[in-house]
Amino acid sequence: MVFKVTPAIAAAMLALGTAMAHADATNDSIDKYVTFSGFGTLGAVHSDYGKADFVGNVIQPRGAGASSWSATPDSDLGGQANFTLTDALSGVVQVLSRQDANGQFKPTVEWANLQYEITPDLKVRLGRMVLPTYEHSDTQNVGYTLPWVRIPIEIAYTDAGLHSDGVDVLYRVKTGSVTQNLQVQLGRTPVDLPGVEFTSTPATVVVFSDTLQYGDTSLRLVYQKYDGSGFPEVRLTVTGAGLTYDPGAWFVMGDSNYSQDKYFGDFFAWYVSGGVRLGRFAPYAIYSTTHSQTVGTSGLKSLGNDHTEAAGVRWDFAKNLDTKLQLQRVVLDSVDDPASFSDVGPGARIGDKTNVFSWTLDFVF
Amino acid sequence: MILALVTVCDVRAEEIVVIVNLAAATISKEQTADLYLGRSDAWTPIDQAVGSEIYVEFYKKVTGRDSAQVKAIWSRILFTGRGIPPKQLRDSEAVKKAVAANPKAVGYIEKSAVDASIKVAVSID
Repeated sequence: MVFKVTPAIAAAMLALGTAMAHADATNDSIDKYVTFSGFGTLGAVHSDYGKADFVGNVIQPRGAGASSWSATPDSDLGGQANFTLTDALSGVVQVLSRQDANGQFKPTVEWANLQYEITPDLKVRLGRMVLPTYEHSDTQNVGYTLPWVRIPIEIAYTDAGLHSDGVDVLYRVKTGSVTQNLQVQLGRTPVDLPGVEFTSTPATVVVFSDTLQYGDTSLRLVYQKYDGSGFPEVRLTVTGAGLTYDPGAWFVMGDSNYSQDKYFGDFFAWYVSGGVRLGRFAPYAIYSTTHSQTVGTSGLKSLGNDHTEAAGVRWDFAKNLDTKLQLQRVVLDSVDDPASFSDVGPGARIGDKTNVFSWTLDFVF
Repeated sequence: MILALVTVCDVRAEEIVVIVNLAAATISKEQTADLYLGRSDAWTPIDQAVGSEIYVEFYKKVTGRDSAQVKAIWSRILFTGRGIPPKQLRDSEAVKKAVAANPKAVGYIEKSAVDASIKVAVSID
């Protein structure tokens, strides 16, 4: 049986939490049982390339290009309810509206799970969880949590960081000054693969992840394996490693993943980024790229290849608000589904350069 | 006029201390930083009002981060369903009451507010 989370189940979980809150609301405030929160981003992107649309994530079918200015790559809105049922049992439901594979802003349930705390360091979750494929993949839609306008798209090329419905176990272990956050996840997920216009082939996914933290340094290792029999067949493994050093006044980080797929071949994606904090301003720079390594049974070559140099600044101008400006130059290293673009036209050539200007306003509440 | 100037230029010179329950083990400055940045669940952190002078001073001195950075870190934890930000209490009196009532609670108050209901774990200079 596949545990499928639908908006109906999510609403039921929310109703359960609220009902429990009402039942005990005589002496305690509702805050103890249910808390509501949300986030959003308002964005505008300008691209000077007329032969393809610049997009904000790999599943978007359209973006900035043909119409030169676009609000769809980065704009989104999310709402969340956290509920505490008992000391050990809590739940979360998050609904997100962001441009999907059909070009619509239909709300989808991103998170909907129950968490049981066996000990403060050992937790089990059941339900829908976003996959920890790359650094920040689980908050990719919450602009306020990112130092940049958006996660460098190349790192997400072989996996749109979708959610999986299933179970996971989180275990935190401290050895001296090093803390390890281990995670094992098993579930069902639709998979986006490169080279095709959004395929939702359901696949079983197993994830092993370990994040080692030592003070302000953290090393993240993740292994994922997807299996699905559809067309195309999904036999994909993604191995990732990322390092971050963030003492507060500045940061430097890098993330990478190597994907191996039977049908589409192998890909290697990575980026490095650094930034400083100057009062309320936080300028940054990024270099990101993805490159196909081998050809799979599909025969498609050079899928996704592009590289990007970006620089921008984040300004935390008011409480719970920030605004960012980002300039980037994307170079096409392939005309076969380059990572940063959708709707690539016949005039596109390897070596084409695109200048992109992005502005976003992020908020949390 | 001079009085107004003094008020405007009043920089918090008061020391801040991290407090724990009388029955609790002590906590180090490093453990406090981990706790208030959501890296540890070993204790229950309690905040003062977000953006208040003591809040800003505490986070700057203990974690090297400003309010916006702290909010972004907790937003990441909140919006991945992994936890909720520390509860905010009105003032140091409320923080002391809460820490005295819960052996797992950790809070921060002005040094001058310390009394026998709680014990000091770390002095922030």
